[in-house]
Amino acid sequence: MPETVLVIGGGPAGLEAARAIASIGGRALLVERRDVLGGTPDESNYAALTPRMGSAQEALDALRAGVEDPAIDVRRSTTVSACSGSVGDFRVTLSGPTGETTESVGAIVVATGFQHFDPGRETQMYGYYEYPDVITLPDAEKMLKDHRFVRPSTGEPPRNVAFIQCVGSRDRRLGNEYCSKVCCGVASKEAIEIRRLLPDTKVYIFYIDMRMYGFWENEIYWPAQEQHNVNYIRGIVTEIVGKDGRLLMKGEDTTMGRPLEVLMDVIVLSVGMEPSRGTRDVAQILGVDQNKYGFIALPGEPMDVVTTSVPGIFVAGAAAGPKDLEDTVGMAGAAALRAVGTVRGLAHAGTVAAR
Amino acid sequence: MPIPLTVLETRREARDDRGPAAPPTEDVREKVFELEAAGEWLVQRVPDPWIGVTTKYGRTKKIPVARTWHHKSCGQCGHIPGYSTSIFWLIRKLGLDYNDPRDQTSCTAWNYYASATSNQGAQAAVAMRNFGAAYESGYFPMIHCGTSYGHYKEVREELVHSAELRDEVRRICDKLGKPFVMPEEIVHYSEWVYALRDEFAKRRVLDLSGIDVTVHPACHYHKLVVEDAIYDPDVYGGQRTAVVSAVVTALGANVKDYSTWFDCCGFGFRHILVQRDFTRSFATLRKIEVMQEEANPDVVLTHDTGCVTTLDQSQFAARAHDRKVGVPVMSEAQFAALAMGAHPYRVAQLHWHNTEYRPLLEKMGIDWRERWREFEDDLARLKGDPKAFLTWEDADA
Repeated sequence: MPETVLVIGGGPAGLEAARAIASIGGRALLVERRDVLGGTPDESNYAALTPRMGSAQEALDALRAGVEDPAIDVRRSTTVSACSGSVGDFRVTLSGPTGETTESVGAIVVATGFQHFDPGRETQMYGYYEYPDVITLPDAEKMLKDHRFVRPSTGEPPRNVAFIQCVGSRDRRLGNEYCSKVCCGVASKEAIEIRRLLPDTKVYIFYIDMRMYGFWENEIYWPAQEQHNVNYIRGIVTEIVGKDGRLLMKGEDTTMGRPLEVLMDVIVLSVGMEPSRGTRDVAQILGVDQNKYGFIALPGEPMDVVTTSVPGIFVAGAAAGPKDLEDTVGMAGAAALRAVGTVRGLAHAGTVAAR
Repeated sequence: MPIPLTVLETRREARDDRGPAAPPTEDVREKVFELEAAGEWLVQRVPDPWIGVTTKYGRTKKIPVARTWHHKSCGQCGHIPGYSTSIFWLIRKLGLDYNDPRDQTSCTAWNYYASATSNQGAQAAVAMRNFGAAYESGYFPMIHCGTSYGHYKEVREELVHSAELRDEVRRICDKLGKPFVMPEEIVHYSEWVYALRDEFAKRRVLDLSGIDVTVHPACHYHKLVVEDAIYDPDVYGGQRTAVVSAVVTALGANVKDYSTWFDCCGFGFRHILVQRDFTRSFATLRKIEVMQEEANPDVVLTHDTGCVTTLDQSQFAARAHDRKVGVPVMSEAQFAALAMGAHPYRVAQLHWHNTEYRPLLEKMGIDWRERWREFEDDLARLKGDPKAFLTWEDADA
């Protein structure tokens, strides 16, 4: 019986799951579709992590170092293309740079993550594909990583910047009724970074209501207002149009009950989380149930947050829904433990039966 | 950090890499067929040949080419008769079969949207009565009015999701002696114009390369049951509905952008009835003047009755206040017909329009003085016979 656990996805969840598997004496086969490890935080150029502003690169380096272990077989530029068998004896086909191989594994951890909401699906509201100065949180993150924040159309620093919250989240019309959990904190963090870089720039955050979970309230939300003069405006933005080379933002100030029309230089869309293409594809290949949004379903919630509908297949991180990094690495440890425990439990049962 | 000059192109490429997202809404047409399989109603199929167009979330919608049953618009017939005449003229120019019924009932949606009069059962019954009449004729319904179109799509949603409403309306249709039929697609005439735009372009006889156009997308076309409206990656990156704009481009004229394109024309339904000054102000200050300042168009094109009427006729009052108005307004069907050589008075009937349109005709290369003389001759001839009217032969004489 193979004791190896297949970990699909080389982002924070997959890296931590593989490290945890090795740390308790198991063997991991880690596959990642890209040629570098790090997942979305790497691919989307995360700069500083919310809420404590620690370096994302340093955090990822630490996770990458964790999989430099003889018990972990890392396959980059590799995807799972087929799967058969069942718990204790899955046979998976991997497609990589040298072609296809078939591997036997005892359990699987899915860590295929999320992708940022495509603001183009909010057609005609935000103009992401029409105006270069309408950007997303990851676009802003990429600039902040280089310690520069400018209008993409001109290269000049903006005078006014607005963040729009809940783009693609909490939206019944789009079918994404869920909160993506991290966007309020990340937007506030980026707002602080912009104010630090450009003290003369006014920064506004337009929100439905701010959702600052746990300690983020005190670590991000109040400092943004009290120390960095970020303006929070409760309002609904309905439309962005170009006007005189700037961006005219229209909507309603829901506190004042009045329409608003303000000119901005850069508008940052706080895009939420959706299941990644990898999550959708892997769910199909493995035959695990997905919830109505396409994330991997967790039939044992709330007390079991890693077991999928298929015995022997577990999930970690944002493949199962919106997660912050703390939840992600916590799930990864739990999934690793369940996967190794499953394989060993079957092996032990087999040994007992053979006696 | 260098600024990428192709920032939008880069975003679009990245979007393609992400792969298609699942449509966020159900495909109500699947439910329509499921109800047919369950014996709840008949489904009238889109007749062959049809053209597949892409709607907002990437689904394909079938647009019938011919054998269309024309659900006309009250406002078009009453205020801007050259609108529907131009649609029929385009169909005839392509040599296609159609049915102009005399037993169509008003959709009553204006009352519904303006003041919430009527009720759900009555609204749905009118829709199904008209669909039944189309089915009996053997022709497929094509809706001229944007409001009727949007309203019928909302009615379709209600009927699909409410067995009680279906039962109520089925009983009414039984009393009327009409079959209980839902069309496979609900089609607006502007979708047909969009689908056949290249055919019109082939038959264009005027050079429109010097004509600048601003487009007003009709709210009841693209804001009601939004997933059913046509979008095209080649038109504003697929971020706005493509009907009208794509037709303008195909005909060789120039689409000009302006910042209030998403706003209502001012009609507003309730406003036009109870606050008409608001309508006039909105139409001129928020739409026409903004177009003038930002795009300086030769003409405004739109695809709905209320929008043409409001944008055109509101300029009369604003002119008295020395506002910066004076842009002719018409439908894209009239514009396409003119481009193909239609008579500006016998067919497009621009004399019913309020804002000065003759400079536009001159710029398009149309000798409006000669065409008006011809039309006056027609009128003199018709005066001699009170029962006479202009015929299609007259139109193309």
